[in-house]
Amino acid sequence: MTQHSTGTSITFDRATKTYPGAAAPALDALDLEVEAGELVCLVGPSGGGKTTALQLVNRLVDLTSGDIRIGDRSITDQSAIELRRTIGYAIQQSGLFPHYTVADNIATVPVILGWNKERIRARTAELLELVGLSPVETWLPRYPAQLSGGQQQRVGIARALAADPPVMLMDEPFGALDPITRVAVQDEFLAIHRAVAKTTLFVTHDIDEAIKMADRIAILKPGGKLAQFGTPAEVLSNPADDFVAEFLGAERGLKRLALTTVGEIVTGSSDRVGAGAETAGWPDVEATMTLREALSVVSAAQAEGAIVHAGGSRLGEVSLHDLIAPPTAGEDREGVRA
Amino acid sequence: MSDFAPAGDPVIPDYGQASDCVINNGAFCTDWFISQWSTVFWPPLISHIVMVAIAVSIGFVIAFCAGLLAYRKKWLAGPIGIAATFLYTLPPLALFQLLVPFTGLSLLTVEIALVCFTLVIIFQAVLVGLSGVPDDVRRAATGMGLDRNQLLFKVELPLALPSIVSGVRIATVLTVSIATIAAFVVDDGLGSPIIKAVSSPFNTQFIGAGALAVLLAFALDGLLVLLGRVLTPWTKARS
Ligand SMILES: Nc1ncnc2c1ncn2[C@@H]1O[C@H](COP(=O)(O)OP(=O)(O)OP(=O)(O)O)[C@@H](O)[C@H]1O
Ligand SMILES: [Mg+2]
Repeated sequence: MTQHSTGTSITFDRATKTYPGAAAPALDALDLEVEAGELVCLVGPSGGGKTTALQLVNRLVDLTSGDIRIGDRSITDQSAIELRRTIGYAIQQSGLFPHYTVADNIATVPVILGWNKERIRARTAELLELVGLSPVETWLPRYPAQLSGGQQQRVGIARALAADPPVMLMDEPFGALDPITRVAVQDEFLAIHRAVAKTTLFVTHDIDEAIKMADRIAILKPGGKLAQFGTPAEVLSNPADDFVAEFLGAERGLKRLALTTVGEIVTGSSDRVGAGAETAGWPDVEATMTLREALSVVSAAQAEGAIVHAGGSRLGEVSLHDLIAPPTAGEDREGVRA
Repeated sequence: MSDFAPAGDPVIPDYGQASDCVINNGAFCTDWFISQWSTVFWPPLISHIVMVAIAVSIGFVIAFCAGLLAYRKKWLAGPIGIAATFLYTLPPLALFQLLVPFTGLSLLTVEIALVCFTLVIIFQAVLVGLSGVPDDVRRAATGMGLDRNQLLFKVELPLALPSIVSGVRIATVLTVSIATIAAFVVDDGLGSPIIKAVSSPFNTQFIGAGALAVLLAFALDGLLVLLGRVLTPWTKARS
């Protein structure tokens, strides 16, 4: 594995964009600090300015006022072309070049940067492995038209990572995928993100995707104003206003339960008095299940709790009360991640 | 070649020693066609090909540059398109008539006219091809840090190729056809034996030369299809 550059922070400093001829800004004085290595999801209604915010960073759109810094350096300090070559960019429908093979697509930026053939070849193979397309020989010579949507997105991510940029911008990269493929690619991307720790700004329509992926979520409301910025748990437990609460939906409480696994709150059998009689008829759940999933199992069994297993052995049990009012649900999320 | 002979009895070549088919002016006399190939058909075929090749090449260069210009400077697309369409709508014979006082009864006159007819087709094909590049592809390319020229040569032009190739195909077939009336100006191309035989009228000669023009159009079209396949391997890559 080659050495990966660690991420660099992205700072929005009253970043404002008003498109020519528009009466109101599409993005209104956005203040946002994305820490190095952090994955921040930008969510919000259609037209809320998410894409605008993202494209301001790689200067596909020019700031009307305010500033954006990557590390300590303003994005306007360098040429737009140079800047973009240090930023990974992945979009919906992948934006792969239909006339390039998978190998050539991934090599786009390295070729422009003048890497030698051997280095490009090695990097391409490494990235294909990383995004789960192996054996690489099968995939290298294919054209995008010969790939499924999920495979195209994987190649799109590999291409964005090619020159090892410290910063990744992703605009609804999984928006066009079916739910099952989507979950698979999300999981893969999360694994990659943990391995390479790129600072990632990730736009999505899908609040569940944001809750699953994000270290912190930035919610934009119509008019391009930041409604709330916080960890998924913070946002779900304390929506800043009615707009956020409504945006999170009526199932906000359940969504919060999806942040914690049963394994994190399970109590050992010995802690519970008279455990044997009390737990009769309780269904079995795996420690890796989320509280939300476990609650569903318990509800289906019409029981008062569940027996928790991990790797075939019994860890303990959780009561219905533990499930719906967990002591530590979703707190210390970054601790959980690490 | 405006010396149309008055239509009357056919002028039969080699009268007296020719085959029955030739003497009776049959629809198509294979023996005569073969025996006269090297003198009546082959030279005009070659000069026809040269005429078409020159016209399409020059037309391509001009229309391609105009297409790029119109793509980069959108406001030019309208005026250039109108000018090219105007040239396309001129009746070919009238255009010859207009040009002869300046450029004489020369190949130059013919080529100028032929080039005029290719322009609008290739120009539109280039413009349509470039404009048809999907937005997300262009956005991804720009977002990755390709500069304008890299975007054009690595992404936009290759993706416009299928459209450009089909434009060149249409222009070529059209030019093969229009080039037959070049015989009104110069004694060149397949139009020359056709005009002579029509005025005679001797069937084998104009049917033979006419058929050659049709076959030539198909052959050049087929070559361009092959060229297109070689240039755009991704278009047939569907799993
Ligand atoms: N190039 C542009 N020119 C003019 N207005 C634009 C342009 N791009 C976006 N807008 C406007 O800016 C506002 C924000 O658009 P933006 O694309 O950032 O929203 P979004 O949050 O990404 O929406 P979606 O979820 O639908 O992708 C919208 O009102 C849109 O109409
Ligand atoms: Mg958008």
